[in-house]
Amino acid sequence: MQAPDNSIEVEGLVREFKKGPRAVDGIDLHVDPGEIYGFLGPNGAGKSTTVLMLTTLLPPTAGTARVAGFDVVREGPKVRKAIGAALQEAALDPLLTGREHLRLQMAMHGIGGDERRRRADELLERVGLTDAADRKVKGYSGGMKRRLDLALALVHRPRVLFLDEPTTGLDPQSRAALWEEVERLARDEGVTVFLTTQYLEEADVLAARVGIIDQGRIVAEGTPEELKAEFSSSTIEALPANVEEKGAVASVLERFGARTTGFSPGTVAVQLASSDGRLTEIVRALDAEGLRIAHLQIHEPTLDDVFLAKTGRHLEGAESEDAEADPELVAT
Amino acid sequence: MLRDTFAVARGVAWRQLHNAVLNPAVFFPSLAFPLLNFAAFAGGLARVREVPGFDFAGSYTAFTYVFILLQSAAFSGVFSGFGVARDFETGFTRRLMLIAPNRSGLVLGYALASATRWLITGSIVTAVAFAVGMRIDGNGVDLFGLYTLALLVNFAGTLWSTGVAMRVRSQQAGPLMQMPVFLVLFFAPVYVPLALLKGWIHAVATVNPLTPLLEAERGFVSGAPAHVAVAYAVGAALVAAFGLWAIRGLRKAEAAG
Repeated sequence: MQAPDNSIEVEGLVREFKKGPRAVDGIDLHVDPGEIYGFLGPNGAGKSTTVLMLTTLLPPTAGTARVAGFDVVREGPKVRKAIGAALQEAALDPLLTGREHLRLQMAMHGIGGDERRRRADELLERVGLTDAADRKVKGYSGGMKRRLDLALALVHRPRVLFLDEPTTGLDPQSRAALWEEVERLARDEGVTVFLTTQYLEEADVLAARVGIIDQGRIVAEGTPEELKAEFSSSTIEALPANVEEKGAVASVLERFGARTTGFSPGTVAVQLASSDGRLTEIVRALDAEGLRIAHLQIHEPTLDDVFLAKTGRHLEGAESEDAEADPELVAT
Repeated sequence: MLRDTFAVARGVAWRQLHNAVLNPAVFFPSLAFPLLNFAAFAGGLARVREVPGFDFAGSYTAFTYVFILLQSAAFSGVFSGFGVARDFETGFTRRLMLIAPNRSGLVLGYALASATRWLITGSIVTAVAFAVGMRIDGNGVDLFGLYTLALLVNFAGTLWSTGVAMRVRSQQAGPLMQMPVFLVLFFAPVYVPLALLKGWIHAVATVNPLTPLLEAERGFVSGAPAHVAVAYAVGAALVAAFGLWAIRGLRKAEAAG
């Protein structure tokens, strides 16, 4: 028996809105079965429009897309049977309980009787909503709604899962739990996951490959490691103890790479030509010139550096992600 | 495919009915409107029955009851369109569109829920009519005809308002859903038989598609069915036409995303 096709194939996908710009401007992408694909970009880049087209909620203006082996325009019903989706707005009915939402969704997929009850219990437990299952959704917190939304997306055991900014507004604990579940789905059940996010860390941690979209076009694609290696290397940033020595510090650091914009005021930053073993050399060179440094910090390349390299802009929310990064900090 | 359609329809109908039970404010207008009209017409206009040429065999209460029954059927359908529009506004329609393998089942689900709600309203209206002394001379078959014809009107009303809701996708479409139905209802021979209407209202009532339905329904109530085939043909044609209207509305909603 032939294995089911869980891939996503997109060619020249375009979506134009009347009197508006091209929200999606001819994108091509391929997602392998069982892969977690991160679709990264700032607000308004075209991420959600792409998801709407791939989930058959919005017809493309041009191009083709096949999801789970079916054409999204001509075989919409087959696509919908094969996919699950948790969209950006978890539109839920405030008059229904969590369990009733599951019941509705399962009824619409033709799942009935004992299986419906079993599956509802299993999913509610998996997303940690067993205790709240019989409460009306209007009393749920934002995080509970997102978790219910994920459970709803999994009701019919989809082969391809679309998650549109699934962790926006979630507390760190819920975010970690959702990441774990997404990883488990791909690893244990072979579910293909198409994940849009504006959180760099999320794409970095979860996605096997990342596509970076800006103004409707994919500007970079590859594994996070490949992208970071291709577009940027580590940056060293020094804060002189004496502000008058800033020029001298810069001239020493420029021996190791090209000057770049610092992350903090008053610092000198250089993008290193090579990261291997340079820190010791840099400290020695500064010491040899008799320069005193208050802080010396190495920033590992992030996907934001990749985005910056491709578009000349930082991703929205990048600042907070940078703050969460784990820089190597050396005080001299 | 048919299995998918019915699975979707069952799910949607269940949710609509569930919410109607939990939120009586949704259900109340479609019940109150016909009951108030019935009280006004059957009580206040009873002496119209004595006008020369008023050839209806039964009481004026029975004569009015038929109109009220059709009115309740039509407006139950129209009010269901408000629910469809509300779902667009809250974004729940997007969820339904995403879940439903066959989206035509959504329209069928709304229609089934509306029909079930109307059967409750119609039963209450009928009970009230009997309580105030209405007598029905028709037999069981006539009663079956009475209710199935009214059911067709309910389906037509639902499909009309669903089609509007699918196009406008906002509750602001409310007047657009109600007004044409209101006009069709009141440009029919409501208070007296068609033969007693004079002038432009007679001309309008003659071509009004509701007129043959009203006359057939009155025939069922009085035990002397007339124009039955024409009435069913008109009812079926209305359902087919508005069914097409609703499905094309669904396609427009799909295209709009």
